[in-house]
Amino acid sequence: MAVGFAVGVLGVLILSHAAYSTIQYRTLLKITEEEFSGPPINVVFELLLGLVLCMWAALAVPGKFQSIQLDSDENRVVSLPSNLDFMIFNHRGKAFPLECTLKSK
Amino acid sequence: MVSKTEEAEVNRLESQADNGGGGEWEYLSLVRKLKLRRPDKVLKHGLTILNDPKKRSSLGHDEWTLYEQVAIAAMDCHCLDVAQDCIKVLQKKFPESKRVGRLEAMLLEAKGSWAEAEKAYLSLLEDNPLDQVILKRRVALTKAQGDISGAIQRLSEYLEVFMADHEAWRELAEIYVSLQMYKQAAFCYEELILSQPMIPLYHLAYADVLYTLGGLENLQTAKKYYASTIDLTGGKNNRALFGVCLCTFAVAQLTKGRYKEDKESPELQSLAAAALEKDYKLRAPSKLSLLGSTLRSLKLSS
Repeated sequence: MAVGFAVGVLGVLILSHAAYSTIQYRTLLKITEEEFSGPPINVVFELLLGLVLCMWAALAVPGKFQSIQLDSDENRVVSLPSNLDFMIFNHRGKAFPLECTLKSK
Repeated sequence: MVSKTEEAEVNRLESQADNGGGGEWEYLSLVRKLKLRRPDKVLKHGLTILNDPKKRSSLGHDEWTLYEQVAIAAMDCHCLDVAQDCIKVLQKKFPESKRVGRLEAMLLEAKGSWAEAEKAYLSLLEDNPLDQVILKRRVALTKAQGDISGAIQRLSEYLEVFMADHEAWRELAEIYVSLQMYKQAAFCYEELILSQPMIPLYHLAYADVLYTLGGLENLQTAKKYYASTIDLTGGKNNRALFGVCLCTFAVAQLTKGRYKEDKESPELQSLAAAALEKDYKLRAPSKLSLLGSTLRSLKLSS
């Protein structure tokens, strides 16, 4: 979790650095009076790295994924809840009294 | 609905609480959330919390929920004094409450004074004639007195109003099965499958009912529903695997000589038998020979 968060921060920093480098490059182009055709190759690499890091952090930080498969242990229903709304009390439990030594207060 | 992981979690918390490792409140909350019926454990652990003023006050407002839970568990265990005490505390805290009134009527039920309980429920219904929980309690009250046909009648009246209540459909299905009225039970299970199609246990119960009814068409449908149970559980339900084997055998008996091989899926039963053998080998090797002879008698293995 903490590692994922750190990676996310690193990714955002790299992305902002890429933006800063592009702005610098454009001012440089204005001075030399050339046309802007695309960012330099190191900025493209930086962008890709930042994208991968941010994506990894976004998948890792918010939590675990839930299983989508029907037969996975989280989704497979193994027993129904007892129908408590219809519970009745005159069952054979009466014949086996619990040690009613338990008292409230 | 209790999934596999939740079941494991409950069992872990239960043994932890039983061995004095704490976690009673988590256990009780989980039991309440999953709607399990484990009255003896709830009574024991619930009273440990309620009798300890420090633990009790740390719960805050959940204290009253716990009182209710323990009261019902105590009635289920026939410790009526404990139930009476819990209800008295709740009565003091919430006078005029319908929910406490319901508990008092349930206590009358547990004591076996049916007429008084019925009267109490009727007076609660006067204020709110469509109170679902109380209507259901009246069904249970009739059932507790042994008047099963009366319970069926009340339950069908209830279901005419509240058709989406799947718990009531399930109760009706189980009552019909207990009376061996399988056609009616099949109808109820159809309703349940319609309202919750992803729960394998309803498919399984429906298939069981159809298999019990018998007849070629029913057996073929039962086989399909056993197959859908296998699909939904990933083949981890042995009852469904056995069901497929039995249905195949019964269908083969019925159609002997009349039809030539018109099977849609000839490998289904042999695959089911293989899955059973694998599971038995893994979990109960000593019973493997028993399984082998059963399958041989169903002509599924040589």
